[in-house]
Amino acid sequence: MWTGTRAIAEAVKLADVDVIAAYPIRPYTGVMNALATMIAKGEFSAEYLVCDSEHSQFEVVKHASAVGARTFVGSSGTGLVYGAEAAVVIALGQLPVVGIVGCRALDDPGNFGMEWNDALLFRDVGWIMSWAKDPQEALEMTLVAYRIAEDERVLLPNFVAVDGATITHVASPVTPSTKSQVEEFLPPYRPAHPLDPAHEAVSKAMHISPSLIGPEQRKALDAAMKRAKAKVIPEAWKSWVDVTGKETPAFVETKHAEDADYVMLTMGAYSKNVDYVVGKMRDRGVKIGSMRLRYFRPFPTEEVREALDGVKGVGIVDFSFSLGSPQNGSILYNEVKAALYDADERPQVMGFIFAGGREMKIADLSKAAELLVDSTRKGRVDHPVRWMMVRGEDA
Amino acid sequence: MINTAHASQIALTLSQAGVSAGREAAYYMRYDDSPERVQLPFITYAVLGKPDIKTILPEEVDPVGGVFDALVVLDSSMLIKSTSQRSLLLDGAKRNAALVVNTSLGPEVVLKLVKRYACAQDWEGKIVTVRAKRYNQNIALGAIGALAKAIEPEVTLDNIIETLYALGNDEEKVDAVRRAYDDSDPVSVALRAEDCEPYKLKSSLAEKKSRAPKALKPWDRERYVEIKNRAAEAPTYELRYESMPRWEEIAPGLVEFGPKVGERNIGFKTSFARTFRPVIDEKKCVDCKVCHVFCPDGAIDYDPIRIDYDYCKGCGICARVCGPRAISMPHELKVLEDLDEEEFLTIREALIEYAY
Amino acid sequence: MTENTGIIKKLTEVPPEDYYVSGHRTCAGCGAALGYRLVLKAAGPKSVVIGPTGCMYVANGHQFLTSPYAVPWYHTQLGAGGPAGIGTAAAFRALMFKGKRRREDVNVVVYGGDGAMADIGFSGLSMALTYEYPHLLYLLYDNESYANTGIQASSSTPFGSSTTFTPPGKVKKIGNERQKKNMALLAASHPGIGYVATACTSYPVDLVNKVRKALSSDRPSFVQLLAPCPKGWAFPPEETVDMGRLAVNTGMWVLWEYEEGRFSLSVKPSRRGKVTDYVLKQGRFAHLRNNEDALGYMQQTVDEDWRHWEEMDKTGEMEIHWMPPYLKY
Repeated sequence: MWTGTRAIAEAVKLADVDVIAAYPIRPYTGVMNALATMIAKGEFSAEYLVCDSEHSQFEVVKHASAVGARTFVGSSGTGLVYGAEAAVVIALGQLPVVGIVGCRALDDPGNFGMEWNDALLFRDVGWIMSWAKDPQEALEMTLVAYRIAEDERVLLPNFVAVDGATITHVASPVTPSTKSQVEEFLPPYRPAHPLDPAHEAVSKAMHISPSLIGPEQRKALDAAMKRAKAKVIPEAWKSWVDVTGKETPAFVETKHAEDADYVMLTMGAYSKNVDYVVGKMRDRGVKIGSMRLRYFRPFPTEEVREALDGVKGVGIVDFSFSLGSPQNGSILYNEVKAALYDADERPQVMGFIFAGGREMKIADLSKAAELLVDSTRKGRVDHPVRWMMVRGEDA
Repeated sequence: MINTAHASQIALTLSQAGVSAGREAAYYMRYDDSPERVQLPFITYAVLGKPDIKTILPEEVDPVGGVFDALVVLDSSMLIKSTSQRSLLLDGAKRNAALVVNTSLGPEVVLKLVKRYACAQDWEGKIVTVRAKRYNQNIALGAIGALAKAIEPEVTLDNIIETLYALGNDEEKVDAVRRAYDDSDPVSVALRAEDCEPYKLKSSLAEKKSRAPKALKPWDRERYVEIKNRAAEAPTYELRYESMPRWEEIAPGLVEFGPKVGERNIGFKTSFARTFRPVIDEKKCVDCKVCHVFCPDGAIDYDPIRIDYDYCKGCGICARVCGPRAISMPHELKVLEDLDEEEFLTIREALIEYAY
Repeated sequence: MTENTGIIKKLTEVPPEDYYVSGHRTCAGCGAALGYRLVLKAAGPKSVVIGPTGCMYVANGHQFLTSPYAVPWYHTQLGAGGPAGIGTAAAFRALMFKGKRRREDVNVVVYGGDGAMADIGFSGLSMALTYEYPHLLYLLYDNESYANTGIQASSSTPFGSSTTFTPPGKVKKIGNERQKKNMALLAASHPGIGYVATACTSYPVDLVNKVRKALSSDRPSFVQLLAPCPKGWAFPPEETVDMGRLAVNTGMWVLWEYEEGRFSLSVKPSRRGKVTDYVLKQGRFAHLRNNEDALGYMQQTVDEDWRHWEEMDKTGEMEIHWMPPYLKY
């Protein structure tokens, strides 16, 4: 029985990571504690650096990765924001760092509750981001992340996002992969141009004049992300299926969705709550299904459109907020709507904001699902976005 | 040009004069030339909109291929070398552009230099030379007077003088501008591209632009190195820019290949920075290696001691630290053209005025 | 230690090979560029260099996809010099220890400016100095300002200096009112520190030796290198080397070493020149030309400092000289 952070530590050990940079912040710290213990006990060896801040943490792994070391890092909430400069540079510099985000509400005020905004801050700059639903999936996604990141067609860093508390601190049964499975699945990290005097001298990330080369470098990142979506991520999960025998979809997972008129869409651990509510409504005869995004970046546009084809109303269960965004919505809500814009037939979209870190109750989720169904049946969305669980009016 | 303050003052005065004449105006330093580095050339633009157009058209202010009606050269050694970003001094000159030069050399000499070093197009404009220091310690004032003469009636002397007062210049300064204006004598020129040396060079380099096919292929290292070395070695900025790789061709991960030990950086030769160049008197040199050690640019070969003029910036440290005083620092125009240029801003003058 | 090793005695023993080669957009007469050349000559080819943002990043940026670094080189953020160095060193150690790379000594040099290392990167640098990675040198090139952004004050800018953030005027007569922070002393007070030194680009033999001693240490080391800056300090570029010598001869810059807890002066001028010999040759102090009070404060600071430097040289022990700030003086 392992928490999400302990499970991820296991994946780091299995991947034979070389350099780890640690700094404490709730709720992700457990992974670093677990790794420190493993190293102290001799279960595997890696350089483990206790840093003075998250900014230093991310810088350490960035440089270690450039030399040719496989690296691991992580953070949560306001700490992740502190390290943001370094995290952005890692992505734009195309280094295959793998990290975890223990999703936590942003300061101010201090709030250990779960929110996605911290990870989502990086959605534009080139981090590949996946959301695990439980410790088992967290372990698997971490291993697969190394393979995706280090593929020479991609070379983009990966975040595995695990909901704070629900995954980081709840222990559930986990079956780790075996060493031979990992050996078959994950090749060693061999960068083409390591920063190493034993190889040809390279100068990395030199200052440029944008009139000479700026847009070209950005476009190259765009191409890498596209290759990740089109080829590398699907190939990786297909290979995972071959090696482990576990049926695992790459980008999205749906339940009861084939003939559904309504779909509840979310990411992460609370997808289990959504499945529960959806199951209960199905028992009552409501044609409702659920959908879970496993990857937020690259966004699974095609898969979302395909799964929602024929669906009349989709409700987004969103643990983020995006103040002042279109329709005063939230991040996942706006992204799904954008993805659906060019679909031949667009379902009605409703956003349910669960931001603020409060633990979601089944009653609120059921209420959201009922609102979705009612509104879709009416054929009209009066209130496209609702803040759930808030005491007081949602005006 | 070694002093941004002078250039800014000229640009500001001209722009504001344009505004008082009813135009839209803007001025700025070329962004790619910043931050300013001591002795490295830079370009400051002043743009006046046409009276009947309310906005500044972006194409007119394009820093790479921007066209100009007038060019003020504050350091005449610029006439005989390219800037780092503009290949030739007169690249982008409109057909009837005016060239104003702060120099003790006459317009005929300036024209000869332009023909040999600075122009590769038809040019039917005018040249105005000015000895700016004669009018005021602040060379911007003399230059403004000469510029006013060169470009009238686009902006009149009255506009300029009104602006000078408005900007807080006292009578002495305004008078300096007036006198420079009065003394300035624009000389018309008619130059054909084919008569210019740089044109002959450019056309002799046939445009063998073999570009990569459009299909997305895996990154090819040999091809990449070949393309970028060609870009770095191309003799004109235009050719270099056009030879740059496509995005599919650049190395992934912001990686560049460094020079081998013993090589220099072919992509950035800095001869354009020099106003004076060090010359070693072999008879006095005792091969102590001090100049090699103290050159910030590493432009002096070790064995034998020899200055690589592609990379020397003319800072003068070598001459300063040489024990036997074997190094002298003549003006570039003297070395290359045997011309005695007496009009230049010493670094001390430039720095004191500019910095503080 | 790597191939280029050994203490040298004369200038002709400064190695001829350059690993920071010609072809960069630095100012004519740039002290920091001179420093880069000398430091990398001393470090040799088995080195990895990290360049935090600053003049020595931006001015060396590529034109047409070429580079002046003949050794592996990587940029890092302004405040990231500290973690960048130990991240690099940790990677080498991990890979060598795990048999993924052959074992050998590799130098890591972080060449960062005073803005980077004394201000925004101070926290990371301090952390790095508490670690135990060998052949790791933090080289602070001190041009006494944020030079690349157009000369702004850092905590390493000397008292009385004019910068764009501390311009002198009728109301604020001094310019920079803060005292210069002594980064080398701060580095030396880290527990168990192996090697700390100060150097100057006008003393290349001394600099080469200090870099080599630093890189042969089994712990991170720190060298603060005075790099006179013609643009920021406003003096003609041919005087860069002279300026460093004046700094040392007037006692305003002190050359010393701190090896395994033992302090010693490298140069002890027998008779120190007046600070005005150095200071009034630079445009950044021109506004103090007639300010006897401020100049007196600067002279007194140096004179009192030197009682401590001399005492430290005698005993070999660290001391701190507390000089009151100017407005209390």
